[in-house]
Amino acid sequence: MAQEERVIVAGFPLALDRRYHAETHMWVLLTGPSRARIGMDPLGIETSGTLAELSFLPVGTKLTAGRPFGQLEAAKFVGPLVSPVSGAVLAVNDEVAVDVALAERDPYGAGWLIEANLSDAAGELPGLLADTAEVIAWFAAKIADYRRKGVIAQ
Amino acid sequence: MAEPLRVIDFGCSQPLRSQTLWHAIGYGVSAGAAGALSFTRPAAPYVCLGYHRGIDEVDHDYCQANGLPVLRRMVGGGSVYLDADQLFFQICLPARAVPAARYHALRMLLEPAVTAFRVVGVPAALDDDLEICVGDRKICGHGAGQIEDAVVVCGNLIERFDHKRAARVLALPDPAQRDQTLALMRRFVAATPVDPAAFQAAMISAYAAALGLSAVPGKLTGTERSAVADLDEKFSSDSWLVGPAHPVAAVRAGPRARQVKVRAGVWTLAAAYDGAQVAASVVRGTVDRVRLRDGELNGSIHQAERALIGIPLHSVAQVLAGFGDPGRRLAAAFASADPGSF
Repeated sequence: MAQEERVIVAGFPLALDRRYHAETHMWVLLTGPSRARIGMDPLGIETSGTLAELSFLPVGTKLTAGRPFGQLEAAKFVGPLVSPVSGAVLAVNDEVAVDVALAERDPYGAGWLIEANLSDAAGELPGLLADTAEVIAWFAAKIADYRRKGVIAQ
Repeated sequence: MAEPLRVIDFGCSQPLRSQTLWHAIGYGVSAGAAGALSFTRPAAPYVCLGYHRGIDEVDHDYCQANGLPVLRRMVGGGSVYLDADQLFFQICLPARAVPAARYHALRMLLEPAVTAFRVVGVPAALDDDLEICVGDRKICGHGAGQIEDAVVVCGNLIERFDHKRAARVLALPDPAQRDQTLALMRRFVAATPVDPAAFQAAMISAYAAALGLSAVPGKLTGTERSAVADLDEKFSSDSWLVGPAHPVAAVRAGPRARQVKVRAGVWTLAAAYDGAQVAASVVRGTVDRVRLRDGELNGSIHQAERALIGIPLHSVAQVLAGFGDPGRRLAAAFASADPGSF
């Protein structure tokens, strides 16, 4: 795994060693050839509200980019955790399923959600944000947009 | 011209259909159908589990003996008892039409219901926990979820509430916890016996006005009718009823408390540790009522119970430290509870 580099953007930590799906706030960290760890960035978590439950598809289940790999419940609201990549579930983070606050405390580390093998890395990874300047600009714009709409605190 | 809001009154529905009909609308709206406000009333009583709730939260023997089907829904919330004295409503919109932040989305989709309650004379308010209340009593149970690209929020008008049965359907091996749960339900969950037709009319007006939509009589689309059939099968299957895998047992060692949430900040727990037993009610973070058992605490049980009343949950161990080894065992039992989202 690459050494994690992190910056603070408008009060929110942003890890620069991984790729991001711009709409779902899912991050993808390559951990080997065609293998990746997937989690949710702090903005995605913040806009979900206080997490109550996380559940994941079983290991071995096929993943399709844009389709759920699990469900998140906050404030009695159940919604999909949308996979940014296609492939299969290799592992799920049982620790975060038991202690969902782990995703809030350490979203880029111990709060990871699943590991996956990637069936179309060459086709799908270029569609994720990876360039440092681009990632920072996207993250800053999202924070500004959410604050303007009152979605997150000032 | 305003976009349409379909109004669909399913009338009385059998328990399974009282769930699958409105879930199906989620698939229809996701596929491009207009948003919908729907209503249904269960034709027979049943029990419904929130998406993430454990199957073992319900007393299946009791439900079976009393002819109560047990179903699991796709939206959140707890394990609840439903019957014909509750009129259920569901508002379903495309996900793009609601705020990205769930708190704001829920507020937006619950506030019209509050307006409707007020129109029919119930002084309801939406509290900071997003529960529709009169004073400190919850008057509407709600849940929410995203079904593909549609968001649905459901709730109910409780015309009469069978508190006793609502507590009885839960699997609560400790009778003291059952008593305490029932007492809290009676204290914090209230019925509002207004005219359901007037409430329904007020709901339609309130949602149309708040969302800037034009309420029109609606019906299910072809996609939705197909989805009903699929959902009937899915919701009737054992694999769906069991629910999503939860790895608690594999990860967290040691005993876990049985906890029941009555409303936000109001819950009961029952736990045991090394022969010590605790059943307690927690209201806004403090111990409201408690029953202790420990073989070595014979003469001091009531003293210990009195000492805990009104004590913040995080200070319980400190208070029980004054009761020697039994106090430490009881504190360990308390510690197995997870205040988390309760």
